Amino acid sequence: MINKKNLIALILILFTAIFLFKACVRKDVPETIVKSTAENSLKVIKIKYPGEYKTKEINGVEYKVARGIPGKFGGSLHTSTIGEGPKTFNPWSAKDATSSTIGEMMFDGLINTDAYTGQTIPQLAKSVKINKAGTEYIIELRKGLKWSDGKPITSADVVFTWNDIVAAGFGNTSMRDNILIKGQPPKVEAIDKYTVKFTTPETFAPFLRQLSLSIAPKHILEPVIKQGKKTFDAFWGVTTPPDQFVTSGMFKLSRYIPAQRVELVRNTNYYIIDKLDRKLPYLNKYIMFIVGDLNNEVLKFESGEIDMLSVRGENVARFKELQKRSDYTLYNLGPDTGTMFLSFNENTRKNDSGKYYVDPVKQKWFNDVNFRKAVDYAIDREGIVSNVLGGIGSPLFTSESLSSIFLNQKLKNGHPRSLKVAKNYLKKSGFKWDKNGKLYDKWNNRVEFNLYTNAGNTERESTGVMIKQDLEELGLKVNFKPIEFNVLVGKLVDSLDWDAIIISLTGSPLEPHSGRNVWSSTGGLHLFNQRTGKYLTEQTDLKPWEKELDNLFEEGARTIDFNKRHKIYDRYQDIIYNELPLHYLYSPLRIYAVRNKFGNLYPTPLGGVTHNLEEIYVKN
Amino acid sequence: MSIPVYILKRILQTLPLLFLVSVMSFLIIKLSPVDPLAELKLNPSISPQTLQAEKVRLGLNLPIYKQYWKWLSSATKGDLGISTSGEKVSDRLMERIPNTLLLTIITIVITWIVAVPLGIFAALHWRSTTDRILTVISSLGMAIPSFFFALLLLIFAVKTGWFPVGGLTSVGFEKFNIFQKFLDMAHHLFLPVLVLTTISLAGLQRQMRGNMLDILEADYIKMARAKGLPENMVIYKHALRNAINPMVTMLGFEFASLLSGAALTEFVFQYPGLGRLILEAVLKLDINLVMASLMIGAIMLILGNLIADILLKLVDPRITLD
Repeated sequence: MINKKNLIALILILFTAIFLFKACVRKDVPETIVKSTAENSLKVIKIKYPGEYKTKEINGVEYKVARGIPGKFGGSLHTSTIGEGPKTFNPWSAKDATSSTIGEMMFDGLINTDAYTGQTIPQLAKSVKINKAGTEYIIELRKGLKWSDGKPITSADVVFTWNDIVAAGFGNTSMRDNILIKGQPPKVEAIDKYTVKFTTPETFAPFLRQLSLSIAPKHILEPVIKQGKKTFDAFWGVTTPPDQFVTSGMFKLSRYIPAQRVELVRNTNYYIIDKLDRKLPYLNKYIMFIVGDLNNEVLKFESGEIDMLSVRGENVARFKELQKRSDYTLYNLGPDTGTMFLSFNENTRKNDSGKYYVDPVKQKWFNDVNFRKAVDYAIDREGIVSNVLGGIGSPLFTSESLSSIFLNQKLKNGHPRSLKVAKNYLKKSGFKWDKNGKLYDKWNNRVEFNLYTNAGNTERESTGVMIKQDLEELGLKVNFKPIEFNVLVGKLVDSLDWDAIIISLTGSPLEPHSGRNVWSSTGGLHLFNQRTGKYLTEQTDLKPWEKELDNLFEEGARTIDFNKRHKIYDRYQDIIYNELPLHYLYSPLRIYAVRNKFGNLYPTPLGGVTHNLEEIYVKN
Repeated sequence: MSIPVYILKRILQTLPLLFLVSVMSFLIIKLSPVDPLAELKLNPSISPQTLQAEKVRLGLNLPIYKQYWKWLSSATKGDLGISTSGEKVSDRLMERIPNTLLLTIITIVITWIVAVPLGIFAALHWRSTTDRILTVISSLGMAIPSFFFALLLLIFAVKTGWFPVGGLTSVGFEKFNIFQKFLDMAHHLFLPVLVLTTISLAGLQRQMRGNMLDILEADYIKMARAKGLPENMVIYKHALRNAINPMVTMLGFEFASLLSGAALTEFVFQYPGLGRLILEAVLKLDINLVMASLMIGAIMLILGNLIADILLKLVDPRITLD
């Protein structure tokens, strides 16, 4: 029996439950477009190029002179990494980003990338001279540099790294893939103690950046190499005592506590000096916390345990608000290098069992450039940026990311959304609408297809919903199906049975050639028209623009001059823009929160926040 | 049957069970659609040769029964294999097991020290105000999911700044003296232990209270009281000895949860224990690591049961081992 008291209690509980559940109900897409103010008030940082690095000789050592103002020694910088932390401290066998990052902090390469211009700058090298044909690279090393155990860094170490580790296939083999030119590694020879000559089998412009590969200490690793690849892979793993590392970078491992943090300590004999000739880095310690997920990282920043944080879209407004009474500043580094896109499967081939990968009816639409253009004009990129990213992003129209030094400036603003233009393109190809506005093709087939993306990624899921709505305004029927990431990848690279997809690939803002696997007609990720098996060799169905892309990428790789290369890659972006194998959608903005206690902090879009780590210091 | 023979018999019974568990675990993992190479396949800079080399390295090119055989033959020799990132699985587990044990053992000790007397107290003061308050608190403790409670405490830690947000040690830990080290770890352990004890305290306290109440109603207690034994003697000599039997079984289960019971809390508090390691391994389908953790879980459960049975025999002479 229910008495009055119990009834009241029951009602109260019900209300609480409803209230709690209400908070969980979230609509896929807000109904009205909210113009976020966060982006408007947070301008992309302005950068001022501080000029080239200079070399200064003191007591026979050729130092590199930092460009910032003289700072103070001491203090530490606390950063974080999401995931399980480093798997190894051996940068040559590292396979994941965290391991590589730490490894590369401990072992410098010959050259580096200027965070302001994106051009290469000398690091362990003093100068890099390239011959006219672009096949010979003469590299002069800085004199007087030493490994952390006091042994000199010489050309023998460079030759050893390139020939005995990388070209011999030790460590991570994708390193070897990157330096192969026409299947051959470059010839590397020492001319004298401080000069090395690299000879490539043919002119190959992207090769220059490969010189940033970490150089290994020959006197330590030569005996390891002799014991085989397995020994090398396990060498300098996470269980190695820190004092056994022999390094060249500005920081050196001092302690690794699994699942908690990596502590690196300053190299007191580093070769970069400030304007007062004092050896950098200023910071005494660099500590990287290992956090399990994004939310914990945010909590760690708010509680003051870490000093910098990459702020994601949904948090930007809150951080902006908190900034007023907090000890950090938000930096907008502009669009990131991720490129989200929508693609249609233009594959017209059959699989091994004689079945078409894509329904022949749909093949006709997907291979019709007017259809793809209509879709492109129907997508409301501004709307996606406002609604899905809360305004923290930019619409994207080009295959090179907005931060790329090879971005085609004429295309970067793209075109406005226009259903009228879209309809005209469809009419041109004989598509028609019934009285309810449903779209049919020339042969009276209802235009309907499946759109996939990976489930669990709310950003992509919301984008999919928005695109579905945009295209339905045009009369298309879109069945939007988020599926498991692995299943999606399986469809993309193995079974090839998909109609349309929303996904993103990482690109490089510095080297368009890194996208050759996507754009070359025989590439392993040429996903919009994936060729497999015999089609890789007998290319009878090459589209004219696919052929031109193949040629452009070969030509781009053979051209050394930056401006000439830029023209070639402008043309490739033109083709993508007009032929639309991929419909680029947006790039999120990279926003960092960094505590105000640091001096010499000059974030740049290309270099991020800590590109000049050696001269960052703690004020007071 | 003497105890050593009994133990031997139980262990022999265990072997086929473990074999079946391993076969089933392996099959279920393999049936999941997770592809450990999915990320690599979508990376534009990875060549097909590298992809193939990875496949061979992880043994993914072999048929499933061969993969299982490979795992089984090395596991029986005590070699748990290597994780997908190339480290020894046993090393990875050993770097985490002490941390997890530290957390769970502290929790169990505190829980038992607090819960058993509280349960007895509540039973002796049945239907008093204290009993009712304890009932409400333990109902709450049983109702709150551990991860939710952990999240609330985490927000508390961030807002007040009184406790660190996760981890086990502070920066500079190695330079502390022994006393500072102890304090630092206690500071980090406080919140996770609080969550775990609150959750298990509730159940244990209720269990003890229930047992005690049952026994206090029994005829032999009335008999003891009737013959004029002092109340202390009645409760601690007669009632408690009998009420503790079911608790011994529970202790066995506690043993089983030593390594796996705190996984959710560990994850929320970013505690460097097994929970985080295994979760990551499952997400990435690091098969050797997942298999190792599943087998450890199975072994701990079987061992826990065995220990409970033997303890039961020791505290209760009426029980025979057959």
